[in-house]
Amino acid sequence: MGRVGATLKWLLLIWMLVVIWAAFLWVPSAQGFKGESSRIVFFHVPTAWVATLAFLVSCIASVMYLRRRSPVDDHRAAVSAGLGLLFAILATVTGAIFARIMWGAYWNWDPRQTSITILLLIYAAYFALRGAVPDPEKRATLAAVYSILAFVTVPFLVFVVPRIYFSLHPDVVTNPDPDNRLDSAHALVLLASTMGFTGLYAWLYSVGSRIEAIRHRRRQEVL
Amino acid sequence: MSDPKKQRRLWYTVGGVLIVAFLAYGATSFKSNLTPYVSFEEAQRSPRKVQVAGGLVPDSTSYLEAEETLQFGMVEDGGATMTVRYEGVKPGNFEEATQIVAIGTYSSGVFHAEQLLVKCPSKYQGIDEAPRSYGSET
Repeated sequence: MGRVGATLKWLLLIWMLVVIWAAFLWVPSAQGFKGESSRIVFFHVPTAWVATLAFLVSCIASVMYLRRRSPVDDHRAAVSAGLGLLFAILATVTGAIFARIMWGAYWNWDPRQTSITILLLIYAAYFALRGAVPDPEKRATLAAVYSILAFVTVPFLVFVVPRIYFSLHPDVVTNPDPDNRLDSAHALVLLASTMGFTGLYAWLYSVGSRIEAIRHRRRQEVL
Repeated sequence: MSDPKKQRRLWYTVGGVLIVAFLAYGATSFKSNLTPYVSFEEAQRSPRKVQVAGGLVPDSTSYLEAEETLQFGMVEDGGATMTVRYEGVKPGNFEEATQIVAIGTYSSGVFHAEQLLVKCPSKYQGIDEAPRSYGSET
């Protein structure tokens, strides 16, 4: 991993600790929220962002695989899709907690909830597909094609659906009404948290890719 | 099969068509099924339990403390209104609600809600700050 990587890792830890402190203790309570529920935005939005990013990286790695046919790209696509699924689940759970506190129910099939469920199922199927094909090359090809097709639905499910339908979901980041945007303290911590979560994703992605590379090498040695 | 370049182009075309078809399929098939909210008109016709969404009609709220019955008018996007009755404790800050979702069934002129989801106005802006006077910057 090298010295730069190790330094970055520690920087990330400090960064995330500062973000957590700022999210819970530094930012003032927000207007109109029940209790301190507004603070979940600092974790909910970055996890949703990272999930989208991870699915994009999986799609790009899949395109690379189809072009170069290198098993490294296949591993990257799989690792990134797995991280995307993990962060999408975290976004779903944090969203449900917020829904319970603010609206009164964990789940009511709001369009946002429906669309993320579909997204989770689409990427869960990616791993079902990977598990069902024993031949590595065939699996990599099929998975790559599937990952590209799956990503086609992401912009639709993440960005289009919530803007077409009535939804209880707050729209803070792209709200057209300037009175409804985040104030500077909220915006600063949300940005810092998004950067921290992106760094966390990058670190998990690099660890995951290296684990896959070692597994691959060991399989080659056995053969 | 003989010309690999031609074959590759064919695959790209097939892939592109597949992606477009997938998008079109997604857009059309989800359109009607993605939202659980039905219009007031549909809710009045349906014998099943449905979800309706809308705003609160100003000054339409009445609450019977003894019977824990809340009654209010709900207004839809298109302007249609409907009376909703809910038996249970009135949610906090109910009069300020900007969006309401009612889950229940319609019968004899009233929508009987089993569950209410209420969204009150909220901003990701600190409450410690002095109240701002909007629109007076100029």
